[in-house]
Amino acid sequence: MKSLSVPGFRRLLVTASLVAMVASPVSAETLTMWVRESAADPGKLMVDLWNGKHDNKIELTAIPDTQLVTKLATSVAGGNAPDLVSFDLIYMPDFMKAGFLTDVTDQLAADPHYATHVQAYKDISTYEGKTYGVGFTPDVSVLVWNKDLFKAAGLDPEKGPTTIQEIVDDARKVHALGKDTYGFWFSGACPGCNIFVTSPMMVAAGSKILPKNGTDEALTGDGVKTVLEAYKTMWDEGLIPASAETDTGANFVSAFVGGNIGIAGTGGFLISLMKREHPDFNYGMTLLPGISAGQVSGFVGGDVVAIPAKGKNEAAAREFLTWVLSDEAQLDGLAKNSILTTRTDLADNEYTKGNQPVLMTAKALAAGYVPWVFHFADMVNSDSSPWIQMLQQAIFDGDIDGAITEARAAMLEIAAR
Amino acid sequence: MSMALRPRRVRRGEYLVAAICVGMITIMIWPIVMSFLASIKPPDEASRPPPHYLPQSLSLENYRSILTYHAGLAVYVGNSLAVAGLTIVFCLVLSVPAGYGLARFDIPGKEVIFLILLASMMLPFQALLVPLYLLFSHIGLTASKLGLAILHTMLQLPFSIYLMRNSFEGIPKEMEEAAVVDGATSLFTLRRIFLPLVMPGMVTVALFAFITSWNEFLGALILMNDEKQFTVPIMMTGVSSGNFGSVNWGGLQASVIVSILPCLIIYLLLQRYYMTGLLSGAVK
Repeated sequence: MKSLSVPGFRRLLVTASLVAMVASPVSAETLTMWVRESAADPGKLMVDLWNGKHDNKIELTAIPDTQLVTKLATSVAGGNAPDLVSFDLIYMPDFMKAGFLTDVTDQLAADPHYATHVQAYKDISTYEGKTYGVGFTPDVSVLVWNKDLFKAAGLDPEKGPTTIQEIVDDARKVHALGKDTYGFWFSGACPGCNIFVTSPMMVAAGSKILPKNGTDEALTGDGVKTVLEAYKTMWDEGLIPASAETDTGANFVSAFVGGNIGIAGTGGFLISLMKREHPDFNYGMTLLPGISAGQVSGFVGGDVVAIPAKGKNEAAAREFLTWVLSDEAQLDGLAKNSILTTRTDLADNEYTKGNQPVLMTAKALAAGYVPWVFHFADMVNSDSSPWIQMLQQAIFDGDIDGAITEARAAMLEIAAR
Repeated sequence: MSMALRPRRVRRGEYLVAAICVGMITIMIWPIVMSFLASIKPPDEASRPPPHYLPQSLSLENYRSILTYHAGLAVYVGNSLAVAGLTIVFCLVLSVPAGYGLARFDIPGKEVIFLILLASMMLPFQALLVPLYLLFSHIGLTASKLGLAILHTMLQLPFSIYLMRNSFEGIPKEMEEAAVVDGATSLFTLRRIFLPLVMPGMVTVALFAFITSWNEFLGALILMNDEKQFTVPIMMTGVSSGNFGSVNWGGLQASVIVSILPCLIIYLLLQRYYMTGLLSGAVK
């Protein structure tokens, strides 16, 4: 074998460094990003905006909602995690504790935009004083009513229910319109849907739902019982379609969109869906109420974006996190597309002016809550969770007090793990 | 004509058989017809409770939505076909010699070997998923069609070997002996004598391998990392799932119909072999 002469080697070196110099400004990286399926639409809007203006491109892959946790956990363990991941914020505590995510505390502390980030996202992304992500595509639960049905039933179509009792009263009047018209809808076998739209009514009425640990309090106050009683009344009187009992969320959104339901709890995501698919649907949106007028709450949901540990393009991924909080991302990416901003100082902007539903969700975001708990999947999301068992036992079987007592004990047992 | 001369009694029996057949076919085909009817409803009608059997208006919107879903239907179908094709090849290449060996050679402890092979069917593969994933990522087989095909082969292999062994055992010993007398080696015997005879068994193995690979969801989801590598079942889950477990019924039914088609075509093409294949596996 012929070895390279020294001048030859030097020439090679010079050529190589020249190539490197020319190549480096254009050799942009391609980042991989996973997003859960149901947040893929807003996620894509944001990523497209980023890709249009940056050299480092992001490739977005949508993962079915129920599988994202499994997939992320296995890929982090196997060292094949994506550069960025956007997931349901409720899993943040478990992921942070498991060490799946990169600590971005210093970066965010130095970011002036972080100060006005919605508090719920700051809280849910912080564990033992360290921060691991930022809110990405926000959502919050609200109450919607069908204005056409309200008008036909002799109710004021511009005024939604402001207390739990008013929901029951209005639902009765709407159902009186005919046997195929129902007053209220909730997905009776969907734990996630109900923590989203039913639990805020309990919280608005002063209740605390989930325990943080085994010695914490769970399902306290009158709110829990009042809401369960109201639901039971509506179920017993046939104001809710019979299919609600077994609905695992399949019709969580579509039931109301079908047009024969008076009132339902839903999320801010409905605004862009309606605008896109049912522009003529006449509906109103208000905050989820409590026992007395003025009590309101909402469940702050949506996705947080974080950098999985051991990522290969951490520096570029960090740039994206900073960009998410920038004016450009907030206004052109979120607000322009009828999505809430995650910065409170930009909530009122040129795009949301006069858009009543969006302004309403912004209010809900400020009034809303998000439970910072471990084992949320076991306490709430699983098909046999104490949360869904309590709802079913109380509403469909009628044993409200027994249901609450049993669920409380089961939740504390899970929280103590 | 012989038909005209048949006694009435027999014809009545035939009607009964025909009626039973029609009844069973109706039960079998009912879900598919329902899926098809739901798939041609407009998306909001398909989701409206309570559901109606017949569409009140017609629309191809659901099919359009899956055609353009994320990377596009063609990409997912292409991936699924490629992986299924590889799976078929691997299953045949491995199960034919294995079946031949287990059926025709005096291997010490071959019953035990066969039992261990079958026992691996009892283990739910979900339990192996994490260790498998770690192993695959260590040797660079994640995010590749080859890796996924190997995983699908692993799932399908015990059953394939079982089928091939029974196929080989179904062939009279005399034929093999005749070949040996004529001086054929065991490989030559396999190639020239046995392979044409076990063809129905091989077709059955290929069919089952195709169906397993075509429908497999969890392994594909965990191994593949990129939108452009996903297979049809992952696309179907994506199309149908929305916020809080809400289901896009129209999209789901349209993708059900689309995903049935390749299975149906392959089955119809190979139906004749498939029937004989089952027989040769079951009756010795």
